[in-house]
Amino acid sequence: MRKRTTNAVKDGPRYTVGTFVLQVAMTLIATVVSLPVLITLNYSFKSRKELYLGSPLALPQSPSWDNYASAFSRLSMGTTFLNTLLYTVISVAIMALLSGAAAWAIARNKGRFFKFSYVYFIVGILIPYQALFLSIYIIGFTLHLTNTVYGVILMYIATGMSFGVFIMTSFMGTVPIELEESARMDGCSVYRTYWSIVMPLLKPAFATLVIMQAFQVWNDYLMASLYVSSAKLKTLTVAMQTLFSQQATDYSTAMAAIVIAVIPIAVLFGALQKYFIKGMTVGAVKG
Amino acid sequence: MRKPSFERGSRLQYATLVLPGMLIFTVGIIVPMVLSLRYSFTSWNGFSRDIPWNGLENYKRMLEDPYVRDAWRFTIEFAILNTIIQNLFALVFAVVLDGSIKGKRIYRTILFLPCLISSIVVGFIWLRMYSNVLPAIAESLGLGLSLRLFGSPGTVLSGFLIANNWQWIGYWMLIYVAALQSVPPELYEAARVDGASKVRQFFKITVPMLAPAFTICIVGISVGSLKVYDLLVSSTGGGPGRASTSIIYLIYNTAISGRQYGYGSALSMTLILVLLVVAMIQISALRRREIQL
Repeated sequence: MRKRTTNAVKDGPRYTVGTFVLQVAMTLIATVVSLPVLITLNYSFKSRKELYLGSPLALPQSPSWDNYASAFSRLSMGTTFLNTLLYTVISVAIMALLSGAAAWAIARNKGRFFKFSYVYFIVGILIPYQALFLSIYIIGFTLHLTNTVYGVILMYIATGMSFGVFIMTSFMGTVPIELEESARMDGCSVYRTYWSIVMPLLKPAFATLVIMQAFQVWNDYLMASLYVSSAKLKTLTVAMQTLFSQQATDYSTAMAAIVIAVIPIAVLFGALQKYFIKGMTVGAVKG
Repeated sequence: MRKPSFERGSRLQYATLVLPGMLIFTVGIIVPMVLSLRYSFTSWNGFSRDIPWNGLENYKRMLEDPYVRDAWRFTIEFAILNTIIQNLFALVFAVVLDGSIKGKRIYRTILFLPCLISSIVVGFIWLRMYSNVLPAIAESLGLGLSLRLFGSPGTVLSGFLIANNWQWIGYWMLIYVAALQSVPPELYEAARVDGASKVRQFFKITVPMLAPAFTICIVGISVGSLKVYDLLVSSTGGGPGRASTSIIYLIYNTAISGRQYGYGSALSMTLILVLLVVAMIQISALRRREIQL
């Protein structure tokens, strides 16, 4: 969503009839696209009676926070929200650290081991964990990782590594090798060089990776449903799916739950959208 | 110059930076893949102690299994139509929102936002849209349309295509926007000086410059659609009947609910094979075009 600054020719004055037609068309499309979101918001403030009486487009007669209060308790929001936050923050942080370290080591070495490592990680990009969920569950069960906090976190790290190494490798060109070399000459160990020279330079790369992966983990359903089924460890998506399947008729509560679940991720996106878009477009832009 | 021993020592240190990530990745992805392959040659039920070997039985069986055939049909139709529709609309919107229209950022943001929502939630929102909201709107407008798309086997695929495209078009659109913005304006100016028409400029400059974005979007949408599951769980549950049972949904039903773990693993292996083959074909075909252009 970065604005082009150099191209005065294209953005310039020619606002023709054709442009106006496109403007009208896009406005219509944007209205239709935002409709489900607006309706969700609208319903989240409606009373149960209003679900059946009156148009879905009508505004709530007496808007109330009742649905939010009910969603909060029915989803055990205190627990599930914090669980989701915990799994997301810890797994994304560790994954970023590990894939940054691996990508840097791979970029700085030409040995066979490092070449092999790169291919080993990258193949995983084409194999979504969803295709392997049965065995991922079995291995978790065998190693006593299911229904534990560290088990689900470990799996989120594992499923993020391929993408992490891919993103971090593509950013390695932004780290000037001269700085590292002089640090190494001054007797810095490899670890020290990574920690105090390379990591600070990779901040934009980390921001990009962290926000992309945070979305994945926050919105994930299948892994959470396999790994954390006990009430104490449930995530928001798992709790919501339970609520959805029980709430065929009283869906205003579910609508409020949706709004609550989307807010943190919308805020995060608003704050870091520059990095998010950077991460999306890695490899898509020439040069 | 550095001494060789120093070099070797530091190479080992570098290797230790790779290893922790590699270990976790191996436990979480590679070992499960090997296990899936192994279980796919057994008739294991998922919990008993003995794991009876049955060779290629699972693979033979799936060739004649109507459940498997229908699941693949739904999944492949969903993937192919998504890839076409999503790329087309994403590209058109990107071109329009890179032109002389006002308020581009607002349009882009609105189109993009649905992809921030979890697929579980998207499934539920569209379930309510089709079963409550849209019929009520149609009724108040006096339209005799039936909009309960999730209600019958004939329309359920269209229903999911609308939901999935609603969720993802904006995401791929932004990738095309970024690619369009990376085209150096001098190229267009040079073409204009040479008297090339707008259409000619689009096909001779824009399309070739978008080649890497095409690769990412086409592979991304196909792989993403082939693994569809969350969207179905919260909306139709694979129905009506099994009209919207995707391959992952079928694996879940077969192995977890149906206790046929070996058979489910064999289905998983065919999905992985399909994913890899589709991605390899697309990447090699598209990359070849990238080089030619």
